[in-house]
Amino acid sequence: MSGIMLRAEGLTRRFGEFTAVDRLDLEVERGTLFAFLGANGSGKSTTIRMLIGLLVPTAGRIEVDGVDVIRHPRRVRERIGYMGQKVSLYTGLTLLENVEFYGGLYGLERARLRARWEAVRERFALRESEGERPEDLPAGIRQRAGLALATLHEPRVLFLDEPTAGVDVHSRGLFWERIQEETDAGVTVFVTTHFLEETDYCDRVSFIEAGRLVADATPAELRARFSDGYRVRCALAPEKLAAALPVLRAAGFAVEAGPPESAELVLRRPSLEGEALEALRRTLGADAGLRIEPSSMNEVFRRLIQEAGAARREAA
Amino acid sequence: MSGEAPAPSLSLRGLVKRYGRRRALDGVDLELEGAQLVGVVGPDGAGKTTLLRSVAGLLEVEAERAYVLGIDLRGDVGPLKARLGYVPQVWSLQRELSVFENLAFTARLHRLGSEELERRAEGLLERTGLAPFRTRAAGALSGGMKQKLAVANALLPEPELLVLDEPTAGVDVVARGEIWELLAERRRSTLILISTSYLEEAAACERLVYLDGGRVVANETPEALRAGAGLELYRVWGDRPRTLAAAARALPFVASARAAGGSARVEVPRDASPGEAAARAALAALPGALLAEALPVDMESVLLSLARASGEARA
Repeated sequence: MSGIMLRAEGLTRRFGEFTAVDRLDLEVERGTLFAFLGANGSGKSTTIRMLIGLLVPTAGRIEVDGVDVIRHPRRVRERIGYMGQKVSLYTGLTLLENVEFYGGLYGLERARLRARWEAVRERFALRESEGERPEDLPAGIRQRAGLALATLHEPRVLFLDEPTAGVDVHSRGLFWERIQEETDAGVTVFVTTHFLEETDYCDRVSFIEAGRLVADATPAELRARFSDGYRVRCALAPEKLAAALPVLRAAGFAVEAGPPESAELVLRRPSLEGEALEALRRTLGADAGLRIEPSSMNEVFRRLIQEAGAARREAA
Repeated sequence: MSGEAPAPSLSLRGLVKRYGRRRALDGVDLELEGAQLVGVVGPDGAGKTTLLRSVAGLLEVEAERAYVLGIDLRGDVGPLKARLGYVPQVWSLQRELSVFENLAFTARLHRLGSEELERRAEGLLERTGLAPFRTRAAGALSGGMKQKLAVANALLPEPELLVLDEPTAGVDVVARGEIWELLAERRRSTLILISTSYLEEAAACERLVYLDGGRVVANETPEALRAGAGLELYRVWGDRPRTLAAAARALPFVASARAAGGSARVEVPRDASPGEAAARAALAALPGALLAEALPVDMESVLLSLARASGEARA
């Protein structure tokens, strides 16, 4: 088994004259939380529909968990869980009846379905809601129930298409905690969102614009490449300064002094990981009153989109 | 007139909107004065769209009091429509007309002369980056350009009140920035009501109206809401943020934690907090933790604590 859960090569989809997805290459490693971003009309939803075998590409290849999606769309379905923008719960049926219905669709035996539901129900805090109909549930709970149903058959890869759209901020946060738990349990998660700050919850972030992939990197790499990275404000007693500065500089920090005679320092670094954090810890202490200010993901994507636009104009 | 306080731009008391037996608005009390940029926020189904449509004079409502720009929403709202700009969630342009023709159409409805139309349209098209697409059919624009045109179209008559229902939903971050620049220019001359689910947009408003269950739960400046938030926020840095988040969740005073960037973001309800220094020390002592810092309350925590308070109040 390769370490790749999902691979798309030269993926293209045309609708008449219009090319919605244009020679897209994608690789998603097993067990990663992979964000797939793009504005409305960028080709994002078309790509997802092809990846899960709902739409046949005009050209290209797709493999999910070693299965050719175009040739064997059915065999892929048992390996994937999908949750769309509109959660696919049947109104009129209670949540438990939905579970039984989906269990049947996935071909789960009664005993296994019962055991699975008991586990999932606890994890997603749905016990109190299982007798309710989806239309009577708040959006946040409906969303959790949608995710619970998508994971009922223990899929190896989850496709979540804007799972946090229309959900209040409280439910959004809890939802991401559950998604991160799925990834920790070994599930590969392919997720789209419009909320750019949510890309920081993911292992890898890709960005599609006008049908083409213009970025595919970790959030840390994107931040280092498309923003001013991190700024750290801290205070150091004057007698510690002489010893601290060489350590911080050696760890790659650019050091700016605060106002003269003050103990304040401003440190800058494009990224902030192991070595740099160690240096901060050694010089400042583990729970010092420091303030770390990462560049916002909005800033990152603003620059990324502007650079991609400039590159496209140059090519044209 | 002299010496009198100006009449509030918007004065609603006990505003109710029923759809059959359901009350989408269940007694909204809201007073807003003068020109400012007001964000309307709250969970899905809170009544945001219904409130905005009511204020725009598009719905029949019940109320003890319901005045917008001095016009009673329960009477003839014709005069209101001439003084407001409204951008609904759904498509609001003429698909077959070009970018400029859409603006010209709006200008005619508001009886703007052609010179005035040219002058205003030029400025709006320039600032939205739509100038090169003047003759393109609105239906052939990208999602972001459509929304920019919809906002420009609403701004063209220079209305006293601007009502925008999630104008930036699904729009890329560059186009969102351009839309916000347009709005910021008008905030001194126009009362702007805008709903949004983007946190940074909520943070950029001068005032936030938080709706839940068809009622106004809070109506404050973001600073006041930040100060009153019942949450503390921490960040723990280390090489395995997800493991850190899971370990933080096991601490008795932590409400929620998740990996974000190279750190775990940790939320602590103020009434459960052991105090900042103790919380920071406990988090810094988690296995694998390198640094722990206390963060200023951000918009996510503000909305989170409003949601929590509103949920508790109803329960």
